[in-house]
Amino acid sequence: MIDLGAPYVQRALLEMLLLAVPAGLLGSWIVLRRLAFFSHAVGTVSFPALVLASAWGIAPQLAALVAALGFGVAQERLERARRLGADAATGLLLVGALAAGVVLASDVFESGTEVDTLLFGSLIGLGEREVLLTGVVAAGAVVLDAALRRHWLGTGFERGSARALGLRPVLADRLLLAGVAATAVVALDAVGALLVTVVLVVPAATARLLTDRLAQLQLAAIALAAVEGVGAVWLADAMNVGAGPALAVLGGAVFALVAATTALRARAVTA
Amino acid sequence: MTADRRRGSIGGAAGPAAGSGGAAGPVPGSGGGAASPGSDETNACGLAVRGLSGGYVPGRDALRDVTFEAGPGQIVGVLGPNGGGKTTLFRALLGELPRRRGELELPGRLAYVPQTERTRLDFPVSAFDVVLMGAYGRTPWFRRVARRDREAARAALDRVGLAERAGDSFGVLSGGQRQRVLIARALLQEAPVLLLDEPLSGVDGVSAARIEALFGELRAEGRTLLVATHDVRQAGEWDRVLCLHGRQIDFGRPAAVLSPETLRETYGAELIVLEGGDHAVGVGHHVH
Repeated sequence: MIDLGAPYVQRALLEMLLLAVPAGLLGSWIVLRRLAFFSHAVGTVSFPALVLASAWGIAPQLAALVAALGFGVAQERLERARRLGADAATGLLLVGALAAGVVLASDVFESGTEVDTLLFGSLIGLGEREVLLTGVVAAGAVVLDAALRRHWLGTGFERGSARALGLRPVLADRLLLAGVAATAVVALDAVGALLVTVVLVVPAATARLLTDRLAQLQLAAIALAAVEGVGAVWLADAMNVGAGPALAVLGGAVFALVAATTALRARAVTA
Repeated sequence: MTADRRRGSIGGAAGPAAGSGGAAGPVPGSGGGAASPGSDETNACGLAVRGLSGGYVPGRDALRDVTFEAGPGQIVGVLGPNGGGKTTLFRALLGELPRRRGELELPGRLAYVPQTERTRLDFPVSAFDVVLMGAYGRTPWFRRVARRDREAARAALDRVGLAERAGDSFGVLSGGQRQRVLIARALLQEAPVLLLDEPLSGVDGVSAARIEALFGELRAEGRTLLVATHDVRQAGEWDRVLCLHGRQIDFGRPAAVLSPETLRETYGAELIVLEGGDHAVGVGHHVH
């Protein structure tokens, strides 16, 4: 039975509840704007930065944020060269970062078992600073979404008219990517570098199956992320596994259940 | 309707008319005959383009030497093959072409109606949501779209005959209905000039009739319409025709411009000549 009085459990639950806010708000845009692969890559490119931060004793969030934003800039440059598609650019940078992280962790700094924590997260490692940072990012996501949702909606729906409509597609898109990067960075502590998409993508993708309205999608994604996050804390504590894998299993199961249910319902309607 | 007038040269000194400034004057190839609504001689609050060239890649202009004027209450048919520069012209007028040279004189912000194929049908937006986008540019981020604009959005949907479909998802509408929703969005922008990118391609008969009737109403209101189309016969019924094929082939009154020679130069092998002298153009799946 989970010990709700244990400080690390309380921090973990608070972390997951706070994380649900940017996960639902920005996760909905990630799904709608087809940025899931980018989100996965942002988490992965932070892996070598986290290894370096651990070895050099600098703040891991700062190192991860620099890596994530650097990745965004590098990807934009590669895409602008028009010789690489977005997916190819993301894939190249992703495997390069993963390889660099593995080499740094195994051969340069011999990080050992710490690598598991970096890749898959740890509830025990969550301190007050991590929770506070997640709270800041959650508040930032609320402001960002309120300020830019019309830009993201108009640009995502049809980019060619965006400027004629008075929108600022380039700036808005850069801020969306920055928001996704910041959310991925604070999610790293809980779920690890390889599994940030279980927070950023899975709840919103599940909610997308249930609704055709943006506000409902975002609220449902926040609620799902919160429920799955709390469930993952319980599962991780009970089974002594990382929160990332626990959340991945839970999120995947819920998605499969919702997908099967909606498919069966659609079939029943057409029959 | 927006009345502010914006004039300016664009790009570097390489353009034929770059930085030349000056008032709108007669445009070569503007045809002759009696003045029609918004005639060439009085282009106040109309659209003037001089020596426009530009493209996406340095040293490779997708469009060259475009010079024309369109006055209030005029409909200009923009003809050209696929890849001939119609959409590129619109992007240049909207300020979205990466590299441009020449001079533009605009009567304010332009409204753009894209081809429906360019929209995301899986986006969680209703027809009303899409029309409301037309008011985004004048709505502060911290405010809801104003009640006046919401009412205007409903009126715009009513005007295109889709008031009863306001709550329907954009993606479930037919191609013609989607096109009408996008036109309603442009109406909400209250722009003096509308750029319409093949608004009649592939739409059903009901939608086509609605859209053509709306064109007449907008012309009567004094709005300027630039309509990219493959339908030569239809363009012949409008006030001016602009023929493009990577460059400007001709511009002027339909009777003066729509000659077999000009059309052949515009469309090349894609031109189909019908019996009796009418011309139809077969471009990919578009056959008129």
